[in-house]
Amino acid sequence: MKFVIRGVYILGQQSEMIFSKEYAKSEHKDSLIEFLVNLTQFIKAVELDGNVESMGVSSWRIFYSLEDAFTFVFIADKADDSAQIKGKISDLIVKFMKDYAPLAIANQPLEGLDAIVDEVAVTLVKVAILGFAGVGKTTTLHLLRGETLPLVHDPTIGVSIKKLPTEVENANIVLWDLAGQSRFSILWAKMIANAQVVVIVTDSTLENVLRSKKLVTLVSEEVPNARVIGIANKQDLPTALTPERVGQILSIPTYELVAIDISYRERLIQIIRKSILEGKADKVT
Amino acid sequence: MPEAIFVVHLDDYQGFVVEKRYPSTLSLNEKALNLVYYEHEKEKATNLKFSDIEGMRVVSFAERTHPGWVVCFVLGADEDYETEDNNMAGMARLILELMSEVPDAVNLREILGNESVLNEPNEEQKMADIFFTPSSALLLERLEIEGVEKAAKLSIWLQTQLQTDTIELHEIVEPLMQSGVIKVELLGKTGETVFLVKDIFGYRAPPVKSIMKAMEADPEMGKKYKQLVSSFFSPPTGKGYNPTLPLDDPNSPLLEDREKMSRLLSKSLPYMVLECLREGPQEIGNIAQKTALPLETVQSILWSFESDRVAAQLDEYGIWVLVSDPVIESFMPEFILPAISKKLADKELAPETAIRHLELLIEEWGEICD
Ligand SMILES: Nc1nc2c(ncn2[C@@H]2O[C@H](COP(=O)(O)OP(=O)(O)OP(=O)(O)O)[C@@H](O)[C@H]2O)c(=O)[nH]1
Ligand SMILES: [Mg+2]
Repeated sequence: MKFVIRGVYILGQQSEMIFSKEYAKSEHKDSLIEFLVNLTQFIKAVELDGNVESMGVSSWRIFYSLEDAFTFVFIADKADDSAQIKGKISDLIVKFMKDYAPLAIANQPLEGLDAIVDEVAVTLVKVAILGFAGVGKTTTLHLLRGETLPLVHDPTIGVSIKKLPTEVENANIVLWDLAGQSRFSILWAKMIANAQVVVIVTDSTLENVLRSKKLVTLVSEEVPNARVIGIANKQDLPTALTPERVGQILSIPTYELVAIDISYRERLIQIIRKSILEGKADKVT
Repeated sequence: MPEAIFVVHLDDYQGFVVEKRYPSTLSLNEKALNLVYYEHEKEKATNLKFSDIEGMRVVSFAERTHPGWVVCFVLGADEDYETEDNNMAGMARLILELMSEVPDAVNLREILGNESVLNEPNEEQKMADIFFTPSSALLLERLEIEGVEKAAKLSIWLQTQLQTDTIELHEIVEPLMQSGVIKVELLGKTGETVFLVKDIFGYRAPPVKSIMKAMEADPEMGKKYKQLVSSFFSPPTGKGYNPTLPLDDPNSPLLEDREKMSRLLSKSLPYMVLECLREGPQEIGNIAQKTALPLETVQSILWSFESDRVAAQLDEYGIWVLVSDPVIESFMPEFILPAISKKLADKELAPETAIRHLELLIEEWGEICD
């Protein structure tokens, strides 16, 4: 993931907080706000020329910019992509100045600003689910979304794209459930573009796992920066190889699954969540 | 006429997004969008496809220059696909171009109603693509010296010039091949050979035709217009514009200018406006009507023409005129003949290759020369 914005703050003329939203829990909220108030006084004393500046504070990076009487502050992780976040602040400033600045000056309620901030600050994380036909990708998608599990194989056409109902930090997870039938293989490379996590699903039979090694290669060529995890699905069947064995063959971290058993749901969400956050941590170096 | 149109775009994060639809009540499901997209991915060579998607008769159009985009026309039950296909391709091309330049101004209903189309790039535009693609222009310069060369050797030469070891020779060669400037052939066992068969020259020409039109219509206005053009090409002070000066002459029109002119020619929307102005002085509303482009789009194109000194406004008449006309001309590269005979004498070139080159030149220029 390229960035996670932890908080968005807009302060007015007298350094009063006119909008604030935290996306991640923070233990030091009070001292943070005091710090921001001091920061705005400082910002007003220096010439920013409409630029977005930033400074590192412990594990965070604070981005700030001044427009007329308003100070805009984003708090992000130190390792995040600064250029993108600066772009986001600028987006927000344009939207705010256009629709909300007059209201704020007149002390009117800022209706709808919350959604605008979300639009700017909430990011999308793409998780692609890849694997050959009938291994249980669509079943996995339904499991993750907490939906009724279909028991027959209704082959996916092209790709089916659904959001995960729960957010990870303030990121929306978009699941791309690709079609596994061989005629759709021409789409795979294109469809995994920009995925931060690729989940390779196998049905844990030897034949299928061996074939799936090709998918691991495809992913490492097309999206070298993505996190890749293996799924040893259909562990309830007698033919299933152990997850350890599947992991050895694929040479990627691999987890067991019975996609038709809802008791696996929470575990799987945690696995995906972990790989998203780890993927982000990787970018630090 | 098609009953409905929709424009789909595959976004890397959100998946299929229906960017525009007409009528607005048209409902589409994910599976239909998948099938339309898949048809084009399956076979990229053809731009226009007919498919029956869940009972819906769809003609879809996709183009390499707009990856991830598909324009679809929904046909009525008894509508014939073949009789309309040219029109639909033209409309789709226009829609794609507008979507990438001025998405908010795209009005499917109007485009369908007026059957507004964008033609396929013509010869001049294809040649402009060469100067507009710096590595292709570089390769052309090399071929102006070599005349003929093995593809593998050119590839190595380009790698050193561009200082990378991952060049896509095919992509660089594409604009040169499309415009017929080079021919690539497999000769013997030596791999592909690249022949220069046309050379091209890009410059700003005085808009003679347009001035004459103006003179006919209104001599007074024509005179003012002519003055405007003269002040660009031969201003009372300063050097004026002379495209034949060698490139290393400090007064020579810059390469940068040539690239700018080529961009203007190869981009479809500005080109439509340019072609309109070549016909003579025009009111902006007139240009919008003739090109079927949104007025705001025409306006912003004209402003950019103005800042590039391609067009200007004659304020008192409320019209736009062409000041300098960006053109690209092709001619026979006879200057490479000595290089070829020298290579032949030095045994750097097989006689068959030299003969093939002459054949190609004759095929291209023979009729015109004799
Ligand atoms: N026994 C068992 N069956 C499973 C399991 N997971 C999925 N299935 C079944 O496998 C079949 C195929 O599942 P899908 O999820 O539709 O397969 P898919 O990978 O999406 O297939 P394509 O869309 O064609 O690529 C269905 O009948 C599922 O019920 C599992 O863990 N155990
Ligand atoms: Mg499926």
